[in-house]
Amino acid sequence: MSLGGGTFLAGAPSRLLPASIPFRYFGAAVVFHIAAWLALAAGAADAPRFVGGLGWPLAALHLVTLGVLAMTAIGASLQLLPVASRQPVRVVRAAAAIWWLYTPGVAAVAAGMGAAMPRFIGVGAVAVFIALAIYAALLASNLAGARGMPVVIAHGWASLASLVATLATALALAGTYLGVVVIDRGAALALHVAFAAYGFMGLLALGLSYILVPMFALSSAPGTRAGLASLALAVLALLLAGAAAFGLAPVALRVAAVAAGAAAAALHLRLMAVALATGMRRALGLSFVLVRVGWVLLAASLAAALAVALDAPFDGTATLFGVLLVPGWLLTFLLGILQRIVPFLGSLHAGAAGAAVGRKRPPTPSALTAGRPLAIHFGCHVVALALLATAVVADNRWLALAAGTAGAAGAVAFGVFFAVAVRRMGGGARAA
Amino acid sequence: MTATGSDGREQGRRWSTGDGVHIDVRGLEPPGPLVAILDLVESLTDATPVIVHHDRDPQLLYPELAERGWTAEYLPAAPGEVRLRLKRG
Repeated sequence: MSLGGGTFLAGAPSRLLPASIPFRYFGAAVVFHIAAWLALAAGAADAPRFVGGLGWPLAALHLVTLGVLAMTAIGASLQLLPVASRQPVRVVRAAAAIWWLYTPGVAAVAAGMGAAMPRFIGVGAVAVFIALAIYAALLASNLAGARGMPVVIAHGWASLASLVATLATALALAGTYLGVVVIDRGAALALHVAFAAYGFMGLLALGLSYILVPMFALSSAPGTRAGLASLALAVLALLLAGAAAFGLAPVALRVAAVAAGAAAAALHLRLMAVALATGMRRALGLSFVLVRVGWVLLAASLAAALAVALDAPFDGTATLFGVLLVPGWLLTFLLGILQRIVPFLGSLHAGAAGAAVGRKRPPTPSALTAGRPLAIHFGCHVVALALLATAVVADNRWLALAAGTAGAAGAVAFGVFFAVAVRRMGGGARAA
Repeated sequence: MTATGSDGREQGRRWSTGDGVHIDVRGLEPPGPLVAILDLVESLTDATPVIVHHDRDPQLLYPELAERGWTAEYLPAAPGEVRLRLKRG
């Protein structure tokens, strides 16, 4: 039975979901990515001093976090965690159905935030909450039967626990817009930022890195003990930040949280640096330049978090922290990884679909990669980040508008890359 | 027991027979099997086939093989083993 000529993947038990499932999440993330930068441009007047409250900057933030980061995380984790856990996704229909609930929910939340319509936020938040709760159940069932890759699995559990905290605090915050106060808004906001960004999305990004970075660099798996130590420090940082949010020695605990987080990040980045340095593949292109920029901004976000904890005498500190953390570390890292994952999974699925239609060879990952749109995206994204950070420092709305415009142009270019990859995969793979 | 290269990467167990070079990557932590197989494939300069002994279907291997102009086919194997023949071209 040939795998390369006619039956590329046929005949063996598969842990892969149909291509249509991960790619629908990636496609929605691509669209929300464009919308996020446009929302930033729409809210440019308020963006440089944004620290919360309804408006387009809040919509832009959630279009990135829910629309791009969590959307991609769902698609990527449903596809890749089974590889680490050696467990298939048990309810494939649920994996597909989540998208239909989550995508309009995110759109409603963002529209409600941008247009200051709390009812939209409420309806959207319920849909997002239910979708993420189903995702959490799928994730838990997959992790529960996991065999092997303990570092990835442990990060998955910590990310899942953070997702529960994120959902609880999101509901509390959404309730305040509807006049229902469960816990103090400041405490809920501090918990939400820490557990959503560094917890749910951050730990998932760090955990999946233990599969993806060695896989793309073609190096051995990083050391288990060091990976678990990094995770333990990250969890300690989250717990300290959580205690600080409830008013327990907030300055001391926040400083301690930043210190633990910095130690966790340093250990993780050391492992990633070794993986890249010892890998068979050294030329990783612009994608890993973005990944490296993301790592630098992870460290920068922790420095900014320290400045926030110490109440630095600068009006834009909290906003700058958010810029470094969300579009800086998380979005930049994710876009770097996504431009590797899309053609890789595309080739994999096209191989399986090609078998069904008798095609001789599947397209290779490089054949699915459109280089020019990615180069345009790279330039626009880096410029947009620099403009946005400068806009915050200088408190300048026009720089924020320029950042939104450059970011949107880059996001459109990324969308072209995605569309080209999907088109080159072929109809059989898309429908699979 | 798996061999380790001078660069610290696990290479799996390797041996040669008349039908090609065999590599047993069972028990290696991902992405160890992927790396060990590609390391062997890239070291071969002729058309020698590679017989892979694996404990799962190495799905992430196939795009990398395609990128290098190699193909794979399943071979009969005992329960719990996935055996592949990799060929150039």
